[in-house]
Amino acid sequence: MNWRIIRALVSKDYSLFFRNRFYSIVTVLGIVFYIAVYFWMPKSVDESLSIGFYTPVPFPTIEQADEEGLEIHFADSQEELKDAVIEGDYIAGIAFPADMKETLMAGGKPKVTAYFTSDVPLEYKDAIELLIKELIYERTGQELDIAVKEEILGPDMLGMQIPPRDRIRPMLAVLLLIFETFGLASLVTEEVERRTIQALLVTPVSITGFFISKGITGVSLAFIQAVLFMGVTGGMNNQPLIIITTLFLGAVMVTGIGFIIAALSKDFMSVLAWGMVTLIPMFIPSFGVMFPGAVTGWIKYIPSYYLIDTVHRVANFGAGWSDIWTNLLVVVILDLVFIWIGIMLLRRKTR
Amino acid sequence: MNIRNTGILLSKEIIQGPKGFIFIWALVMPILISFVFSVVFGTLFSEKPKLGVIDEGDSQLVQSLIEHDSIIYREYDSETELKEAVETGSVNMGIILPDGFDTALRQGNTTELKAYIFGESLAKDRIIVAVVIGDLLREIAGQEAPVEIESIFLGDEESIPWSDRLLPFIVLMAVFLGGVFVPATSFITEKEKRTLDAVIVTPTSIQDVLASKGMFGLILSVFIGIVVLLLNQAFGAHPLLLVMLLILGAIMAVEVGLICGVFFKDFSTLFAVWKSGGILLFGPAIVYMFPQIPQWIGRIFPTYYLINPIVTVTQRGGSWPDIATNVFILIGIDVILVGLILLSLRKTRKLAG
Repeated sequence: MNWRIIRALVSKDYSLFFRNRFYSIVTVLGIVFYIAVYFWMPKSVDESLSIGFYTPVPFPTIEQADEEGLEIHFADSQEELKDAVIEGDYIAGIAFPADMKETLMAGGKPKVTAYFTSDVPLEYKDAIELLIKELIYERTGQELDIAVKEEILGPDMLGMQIPPRDRIRPMLAVLLLIFETFGLASLVTEEVERRTIQALLVTPVSITGFFISKGITGVSLAFIQAVLFMGVTGGMNNQPLIIITTLFLGAVMVTGIGFIIAALSKDFMSVLAWGMVTLIPMFIPSFGVMFPGAVTGWIKYIPSYYLIDTVHRVANFGAGWSDIWTNLLVVVILDLVFIWIGIMLLRRKTR
Repeated sequence: MNIRNTGILLSKEIIQGPKGFIFIWALVMPILISFVFSVVFGTLFSEKPKLGVIDEGDSQLVQSLIEHDSIIYREYDSETELKEAVETGSVNMGIILPDGFDTALRQGNTTELKAYIFGESLAKDRIIVAVVIGDLLREIAGQEAPVEIESIFLGDEESIPWSDRLLPFIVLMAVFLGGVFVPATSFITEKEKRTLDAVIVTPTSIQDVLASKGMFGLILSVFIGIVVLLLNQAFGAHPLLLVMLLILGAIMAVEVGLICGVFFKDFSTLFAVWKSGGILLFGPAIVYMFPQIPQWIGRIFPTYYLINPIVTVTQRGGSWPDIATNVFILIGIDVILVGLILLSLRKTRKLAG
């Protein structure tokens, strides 16, 4: 294997890529757009129910209800309460009657008014109504005699939820990697279709050298973009070395898949067809990160799961080597398998 | 432009087009995505908290939870299954109802309830689940609510469920995949295979070629748009208005496709542009999906003027007066794009010449 030749082949691919001013601009623009999408996404999670109260007479149970997940506010008048609900300051405004204490003491049912905006989700409206009932139950001393034994599974994220932009980040990073697969696959397909590979192989370039050069081109193009994206979006604030290693292994994986697609394709359209079939499933695991519980155990059969899960856990939960080494091991094995299959198929095709 | 020549070329496109991958892709993808979103993600994106239950006895609570509108109920057979569901976030909370739970509750004995909580679940979801369970337990215990609640709704905004928020994305996908890719790839193929040179030495002009490819993309684009709206049960009140909007949107898509076809030399370039430039088309759909993003951002994108009227008609019960301004802007964009195509024709003539 002659590294000087490999270097020449890689620099040839790079110069072909960047000589095309259009490609270079589009590649840069692509990263800029992904970064823009990230920064457009909400940067915080509103996990509290903000409720306004109007209580003409003191109602101590309300202050006691001010717990995690409930934001209690008080209005000076019913009109102020209604205005605040309309303005969206509170999800609901609750007005207690002035004679509530007397009514309760007389065994009657006080009439409480709950104001909602018309776009309030049904589950919130029902929950607020039930909350009012619960407040009155407590006020009248009707407690439920139930001992709840709670156990939180997984890290308790109460008050420090992962914002949507950070949940979408692993998907965007892997998306950048995956799109490069098309580029690499079409680069290799072109070499095969135009028979330039045959021309190259009559020179001192060996078939191994050819694959290594294409591999280096593919890996570096995908890897640099993904690292840049993660760096700008703060995805490397936790454990940068693990993130870089994961993205590198991810770039190797998509390069292997790129080889397989190239071997199965005869032109750009078939690259696209095979690419879609192969790569669309690769996005599915990111839904599991964006919407926890959206996917079940079968997701682990999709290779990109181990990439996305690692990036998510490291960037969003600060996981360390000991937490994710099994994921990386699976990725390394998958890399070797994909690269091997890809090279075998391409060897057969170029024979 | 010769209508007869255009017609002949269009019939050729209609016969040859469906054999290509792009045609199948543009036809199948939006329908597939629409199906997946409506069937699978329609329920997954629900903002209702999910509660998992193991009922070791025969608790009345289970039936009440199934019928309750504020939560999504799921039943599990074993504690291992329940814990796994909570750990992965399939449910926000999991409870185990022991045998004899209801009897103990009715007799006023202290009752133990084991609850697993998903660590990433939102505080408000935990509260909703807790108050729903609490209320139903009080019902079982025979307690009567000591309060009357009158709920009053203020304003006229409506909440947008996830299935509706995804509609703009699906519609854009439907209109633009076929509208952009079919004419663009068809034109690029003609250039690559040099058949374009052969065609234009006949009485057929470049305008005829572009018009036929555009017409084919337009028909496909409008057809998929209608299918997607039908699949999403969004073709209700003003079908003619919606068809008009889809036609105007498809014209925009086809114009973009033709410009791409004229300017790009190969498929790689086209897809490279789609990779980064696609965000310009799908921007309004992303803004619409997340109401937290300032909604004015959507107006920056040309496709906003297609999506906003469609959403107004299908989801907000709007009619012509509500969408007229945006429709005129959409027509304006279509006209500007026609101008760009005419300019690009000069380049095409140079290419052909």
